[in-house]
Amino acid sequence: MKRTSEESQSRLPDNSALKQQQLPAYRLQLTATGVLSGFFATGVFCLGVGIILILSAKSIKEIEIKYTKICGNCAKLREDATNFDKECTCSIPFYLSETMQGNVYMYYKLYGFYQNLYRYILSRSNSQLMGTDLKDVGTCAPFSRSHDGTPIAPCGAIANSIFNDTIILSYNLNSSIPIEVPMLRSGITWWTDKYVKFQNPRSKNLSIAFAGTTKPPSWAKPVYELDQEDPENNGFLNDDFIVWMRAAAFPTFKKLYRRLNRIQYFTEGLPAGNYSFNITYNFPVTRFRGEKSVVLSTLTWSGGSNLFLGLAYTVTGAVTWLAFFSMMAIHLMLKDRKMFFTQQ
Amino acid sequence: GNTAVEVREELRKAKENLFGQNRSSSNGHVVFEKQQLELDSVVEETITGDYALIINGHSLAHALESDVKNDLLELACMCKTVVCCRVTPLQKAQVVELVRNYRNAVTLAIGDGANDVSMIKSAHIGVGISGQEGLQAVLASDYSFAQFRYLQRLLLVHGRWSYFRMCKFMCKFLGYFFYKNFAFTLVHFWFGFFCGFSAQTVYDQWFITLFNIVYTSLPVLAMGIFDQDVSDQNSMDYPQLYKPGQLNLLFNKRQFFICMAHGIYTSLALFFIPYGAFYNVAGEDGQHIADYQSFAVTMATSLVIVVSVQIALDTSYWTVINHVFIWGSIATYFSILFTMHSNGIFGIFPNQFPFVGNV
Repeated sequence: MKRTSEESQSRLPDNSALKQQQLPAYRLQLTATGVLSGFFATGVFCLGVGIILILSAKSIKEIEIKYTKICGNCAKLREDATNFDKECTCSIPFYLSETMQGNVYMYYKLYGFYQNLYRYILSRSNSQLMGTDLKDVGTCAPFSRSHDGTPIAPCGAIANSIFNDTIILSYNLNSSIPIEVPMLRSGITWWTDKYVKFQNPRSKNLSIAFAGTTKPPSWAKPVYELDQEDPENNGFLNDDFIVWMRAAAFPTFKKLYRRLNRIQYFTEGLPAGNYSFNITYNFPVTRFRGEKSVVLSTLTWSGGSNLFLGLAYTVTGAVTWLAFFSMMAIHLMLKDRKMFFTQQ
Repeated sequence: GNTAVEVREELRKAKENLFGQNRSSSNGHVVFEKQQLELDSVVEETITGDYALIINGHSLAHALESDVKNDLLELACMCKTVVCCRVTPLQKAQVVELVRNYRNAVTLAIGDGANDVSMIKSAHIGVGISGQEGLQAVLASDYSFAQFRYLQRLLLVHGRWSYFRMCKFMCKFLGYFFYKNFAFTLVHFWFGFFCGFSAQTVYDQWFITLFNIVYTSLPVLAMGIFDQDVSDQNSMDYPQLYKPGQLNLLFNKRQFFICMAHGIYTSLALFFIPYGAFYNVAGEDGQHIADYQSFAVTMATSLVIVVSVQIALDTSYWTVINHVFIWGSIATYFSILFTMHSNGIFGIFPNQFPFVGNV
């Protein structure tokens, strides 16, 4: 380009690689061998993982007993809220045919309870639950204050609807005297929940710490009386409370209730035999056509007995291999055709 | 001819000639004699014996009258080349406007002097040459360069790449934009069936804010700037590659619907596979992992990874910047994730960052 003498500045763009669209680059070429080997490897990986997951899920033993219909009279009693002070218990015998080896976990499972509703999830106050500001109930509508204006602790709809059935597992040793299976109440929450997210307000005495607040309307006892034997499990630090406050993602969910304490007769797990659940039925579910059940389950490294992920991986692996074989067939057919042309 | 009537007659005769003669066999030209000036008839020798129209400014003034200009336009469009000589600047603009308004075509005008400014402005694309005649054409144009021969590179290389990227940006990528936003948004439609249609979002609010701004904006930008399907040398050597742009092959309704369907399918897979995986599951020590927080984080992470891998598959020209933007977006997502879920920030803003900890 000719530069005139009047032009002191040149308008020539920089000859840098960036501005001249000549950056060094790798042009991705999809060759047959590359694509085919990629599909094959993916298929092998997915099939392998899928089969491992399925085998692991199948090795779990799980028992679920739905007790809403079995405890039908208790369910009917609870439909009327004025019966809240009448106690109702229900006993469900069942037979365990095989020993459940290893750690056994007891869950309560709810059907049709939408913990993932938008206003429900919003209705909590994390700063109150952290113990920093007990009176901060602004986000907890409609359960923020009682009718005389006292803030509720713990406030919010999630806390108010806590699951309050009591489930006790008994074992019929020698088919005469049932003994209560020893269960652990602790260690059922996330570590960060117990030690970071939920803290009691600082004070020597919990009832003094919660002075100036009142219990949620649906609770029988105030929050500092949830477990009076164990101060580590009282107030906001109560494990059952923390487990309930962790909102579930779907309307059918199970939450950990107790863990087997492997002492006495239960060092190897739950031996086979006759058992029964004694349930104090408090939580009403029939009004919204929900159901409750209790689940006993062993676990493996891959979690509970959910076959879905293993199946999904296996199906993906199979489909990938199907694609691989069909592409290989097409490629081989076309390769012969190309050679035919080059011979001409 | 001197008068409008004569011009019209000549035009009609020429058209009859065109229709009457066998085009492929002979090489014809239509010439207008202007007054006393003998113009050499300039014949454009074309490959297949098509026609050329040469018209001077005086006749053009008559030919552009409203009752004749349609004839002129039809005749001109049947010719391979049209040469208008000794025309005024206004007539240049009028010719361009004639083609632009009555034919469904994109027009480009290139010129270097002040008399070309009106023509440049009336075309769709105006190109100015900066050089001997000054800068007026440059100031009025959309593109400018220094020599006329660069027009070939502008069209065949940069124009082609621009269409290809736009289309990848638009179709495969407005296609990409629709795809990633469909995948992002439609999961809420599926989740509605499982949350009582209460408009609960599947992701936490910070992810929704940052998704389109931080996590997925840069890779598309890099692709729009740097992507090339063939090298510039090949684009110049094979001008047939310009055809898809002219025929609008890469961005049409069919392609668009395919992109939408892909987005819908992705949202289905993105929602229902984690749904199935989380349905009846517990952690290995019994703890609750089917909670809303874990589900939201899983969905968000899988969405970012799927969308980034999709754009990685669609990029055909990998520069350093593409690598940095794509893998950097994923790395940014994870670093922001770990920051927002840390104990420290929960301590400061417990109500804004409720997703603390992991199982």
